[in-house]
Amino acid sequence: MNVERIWQADVQQRVFRELVEAFSRPGDIREIGDCTNGADAQRAVLATLMDGEMTLADPHGQIAAADWPLLQAKPGATESARYIVADGRRAPDFQPLLGSLESPEFGATVLVEIDCVGEGALTLELAGPGVDGKRTLCLAGLHPDWLARRADWVGGFPLGVDLLLSDARRLVALPRTTRIRISGEAL
Amino acid sequence: MNAMSHTQADNAYNFGFLDEYAKKEVRRAILKAIAIPGYQVPYASREMPMGRGFGTGGLQLTLSLIGPDEVVKVIDQGSDDSVNAVNLRRFIEMTCPGVSTTTATTECTLIQSRHRIPELPLTAQQIIVLQVPYPDPLVVVEPSEDKRKIMHGEADYSRLLVKLYEDIVKFDEITISHRYPTRINGHYVIDPSPIPRWDVPKLNDSAALTLFGAGREKKIYAVPPHTIAEPLAFSDVPFRVEDFRDEQGRRRACARCGCVDSFLDEFVADSGSKTYQCSDSDWCDMQLQQVKPLQGKPA
Repeated sequence: MNVERIWQADVQQRVFRELVEAFSRPGDIREIGDCTNGADAQRAVLATLMDGEMTLADPHGQIAAADWPLLQAKPGATESARYIVADGRRAPDFQPLLGSLESPEFGATVLVEIDCVGEGALTLELAGPGVDGKRTLCLAGLHPDWLARRADWVGGFPLGVDLLLSDARRLVALPRTTRIRISGEAL
Repeated sequence: MNAMSHTQADNAYNFGFLDEYAKKEVRRAILKAIAIPGYQVPYASREMPMGRGFGTGGLQLTLSLIGPDEVVKVIDQGSDDSVNAVNLRRFIEMTCPGVSTTTATTECTLIQSRHRIPELPLTAQQIIVLQVPYPDPLVVVEPSEDKRKIMHGEADYSRLLVKLYEDIVKFDEITISHRYPTRINGHYVIDPSPIPRWDVPKLNDSAALTLFGAGREKKIYAVPPHTIAEPLAFSDVPFRVEDFRDEQGRRRACARCGCVDSFLDEFVADSGSKTYQCSDSDWCDMQLQQVKPLQGKPA
């Protein structure tokens, strides 16, 4: 049986370690294309984190029908899912879970696919936990509404959502604690 | 097929002992713990083949993180050779074929530790996992976990501060020797595990990620790199670390390597005399190696 690499435990371990680095160091770009054998980064992350315990929402129809049985995640609505997969080129037209004061870990993790991580016209300046001083992040293909909506979602720490942006091969995380500025304006 | 297990022919266990579903659950908790610095994320702590309280929380973190190219260091109270460290290291070697272990802080990529953070500053390429017996600093002032969770969410630590104040009234200083409550990124206060006060400042703006695993209490929390970690204190009674000066006011030195800027363990002989030695055994060895070549040179 020829099993695709992303479903194998050793690859999932390596993708997970890249996720640990990404969330520990917001704005730090992690290249996972080599260890996943060229599989799409967002798919590899889903394979690494999903199982039958998790609810997953796919408002923009990103996940192939054949992947759902392998992911084993329960399909859920964006309002109640722990994980959301979205197309970053489209404006976010949903309200994710933000968690509660007692259990902020129920705030959703949103996996946002964009054109390019690391290059592009949109330049963000990041600060906060995990960032030594300031870090600059360039992105291409992120609808401008995302940053405004995110600012609303993460306004009341500890509540909020944690974003993981990806292109075909690379990942970058923007957890709820990261402060973002676009070309001088505070968001 | 999701998460195919990774059993090798000569090893009856899955790589890393835990099954892949258990690892996934721990991994999701780790990522949320990093995203919400200092918040105790609940998780389904698995049965491990050792008693809870012997580092099962830290071990589950280590086994969920570990990969075949890992270089692991395990320490117990600063020493690589005490019972807890040796047992955990053997267990990791047995269940994770291919993983190398070391005692050198400079070489390792993953450190599991009981009650100490190494003296040598950690780097961005390293992760330290601390074993935690009691994760919640509020347990001394509030018995109900439901209420503690609300207090944490609201960052309401007034009762904890009153407790510290009572110490000052009685003893003129805060008497907590280890597990010193520490505020992370200006919100959550954590129990940084029973590390001495000496190690608490190392959490602040650390280059390495610090993870905390409480197996019996089923909690995982984290201090990400370059994050503010402030020990709770008052403006007129600042936090201070252990004082290793003797009666004459001189800084005590390690009896073995002569180091005067490390955390020292006190040994009391039968005669009642006291000697002091570095608690971090790898640090002590490094100091000895630096001292020896110097002694060979003419003055």
